[in-house]
Amino acid sequence: MTAAAAKPRTGPGRTRLLSAFKASPATYAVLLVVSAIFFVPFVLMVSISLSSDLTSSQNAFTVIPSEFEWRNFTEVFTATGLPVGRFVLNSVLIATLSAVGQVLSSSLVGYAFARLRAPGKGVMFIIVLATMMIPAQITMIPQFLLFKELGWVNTYLPLIIPNFFTNAFNVFLVRQFVSRISGELDEAAQMDGLGYFGVYRRIILPMMWPILTAIAIFTLTHAWGDFMGPLIYLNSEESMPLALGLQYMTGTSNEMQLPPWNLVMVGSIILTLPMIAIYYLGQKYLYEMNLQGGSAGVK
Amino acid sequence: MSQTVDEAPGAERAALRAGGRRKPSSRRRKEAFYFWLFISPWLIGFVGFLLGPMIASVYISFTEWDSFTPPQWVGLDNYAKALTEDPVFWKALGNTFYYALISVPLGLVIGVWLANLLNKRVRGRKLFRTFIYLPTLVPLVATAMVFKMVLAPSGPLNDLLGWFGVDGPAWLLDPTWVKPALIVLSAWGAGGATVLLLSAMNGIPRELYEAAEIDGAGSWRQFWSVTFPQITPVIFFNLIMGLIGSFQIFSQVYILTAGGPDNASQMIVPLLFREAFSFYHFGYASAVAWLLFLVILALTLVAFRWSRSWVFYEQEVR
Repeated sequence: MTAAAAKPRTGPGRTRLLSAFKASPATYAVLLVVSAIFFVPFVLMVSISLSSDLTSSQNAFTVIPSEFEWRNFTEVFTATGLPVGRFVLNSVLIATLSAVGQVLSSSLVGYAFARLRAPGKGVMFIIVLATMMIPAQITMIPQFLLFKELGWVNTYLPLIIPNFFTNAFNVFLVRQFVSRISGELDEAAQMDGLGYFGVYRRIILPMMWPILTAIAIFTLTHAWGDFMGPLIYLNSEESMPLALGLQYMTGTSNEMQLPPWNLVMVGSIILTLPMIAIYYLGQKYLYEMNLQGGSAGVK
Repeated sequence: MSQTVDEAPGAERAALRAGGRRKPSSRRRKEAFYFWLFISPWLIGFVGFLLGPMIASVYISFTEWDSFTPPQWVGLDNYAKALTEDPVFWKALGNTFYYALISVPLGLVIGVWLANLLNKRVRGRKLFRTFIYLPTLVPLVATAMVFKMVLAPSGPLNDLLGWFGVDGPAWLLDPTWVKPALIVLSAWGAGGATVLLLSAMNGIPRELYEAAEIDGAGSWRQFWSVTFPQITPVIFFNLIMGLIGSFQIFSQVYILTAGGPDNASQMIVPLLFREAFSFYHFGYASAVAWLLFLVILALTLVAFRWSRSWVFYEQEVR
């Protein structure tokens, strides 16, 4: 649209470029160098993951492995002495159920804050916003003691169940999103005798999916990469997600012994790829979320 | 847009007041009932997982408690211990400040610089942006693993330095290099801020640049007089979020250094974690958590106060 606005001012040919937008060779040089530096860790991750075991032999590291050890990608599941397949399964389970919980609860609560009227609602919403400022470390210890009391330690429950009670940020996102949907449709539906739950279920929920997709992606990513939660609550190898399991992979019986870096890097790739895939599939919905949250956060 | 939605109930309420209470209030009550019903998941979570634990946390911080024997009331002893007796607490706090006050501004400078370059008419802009943003998609644990491997004493980085005849330090095992190493790791994630800043730059009206150009401002001057003031709100947002996040740094430290060598990279949250879950000093750890909260709160307030002098908001306040 900026290009269209600039068009009438220019003569024949291309629009005159403002000096602030002119890319000099230096611009390209810097961007190339920085992109390369940002990409180096990926290159190393892949090249080490395809290297032979650097610990046993006196193999020096080379960027392009002398021999591509594709079998590392199967050996990671068998040769580490850890249930790596189970790690992946646990990660999928925890992340998926967490996302389901957040989507269900935040849509319901956010809808109520956007549409229903009740005395005390304003105060409640201020409390929602205020809770965003409480750092997790404050509640971490009492929560642990509570879940321990409930016998939930070493189960997935402490990592999954709180998601079914939503969180302030997601409530805020849904509320903002629903506030921007015109109220005419649900008023008409109410005239036709649809109750509040009916309006939520039939009218609003189908329109909420862009923000709910964003919340699902956000929760998936967060739960998938979470390290501290599993570290606190899970101590048997069978129940660990991959993010925590990787840490166990680097542990060696002997101080002087190097971890099996090639297999750890395969694990890191397995941990990373789904996140990149999810991001590219859901990019436009995350943009939606930035729109809702980011602009509000700025001010 | 949202105003029209908000107005409808307001108008209705005004009409109601003007015309007396004709509508049955039972409908009101029913709506209020559904409101509380629908927000009950959040309400239960708030009481059970937040408010309750917060109150418990205050109480625990005044006790000495290992969770196996009954808690002993010790008053402010835990706070006094952190502030006067425990040298590791001050070291961890100092390290956390060091880390946060370097890594956050560094990330922002890199972010602004890259966003400004990407905002130019660059061929292959999308590709560059992808390269710069990609690291932010890597889970922190995987990032930590890669850096742990790269920074190992005989790892790829020291191999590279060796080609230039430089004898690289032991990075994560060297007290002087361990914090810079953690800062480098955080700089790898500068793409997140870059993308937000870039979209803010995209929204700057082109007329401002045209006017500046006519006034004879060069591109350096245009950056400082047009681009920078317009993106200060986004810079400020990233500054606050970055500060809060970096004061809570945990996984990188836990995985890469475990606080070592000799507490040179010990930070507040890893310290708190060790006190709570390795030593079962729940009282002391809770006191540390509240001290951390106070530090973050104070810093946020200072940042807000400071922002008045440099953050630029258009008159239109949202």
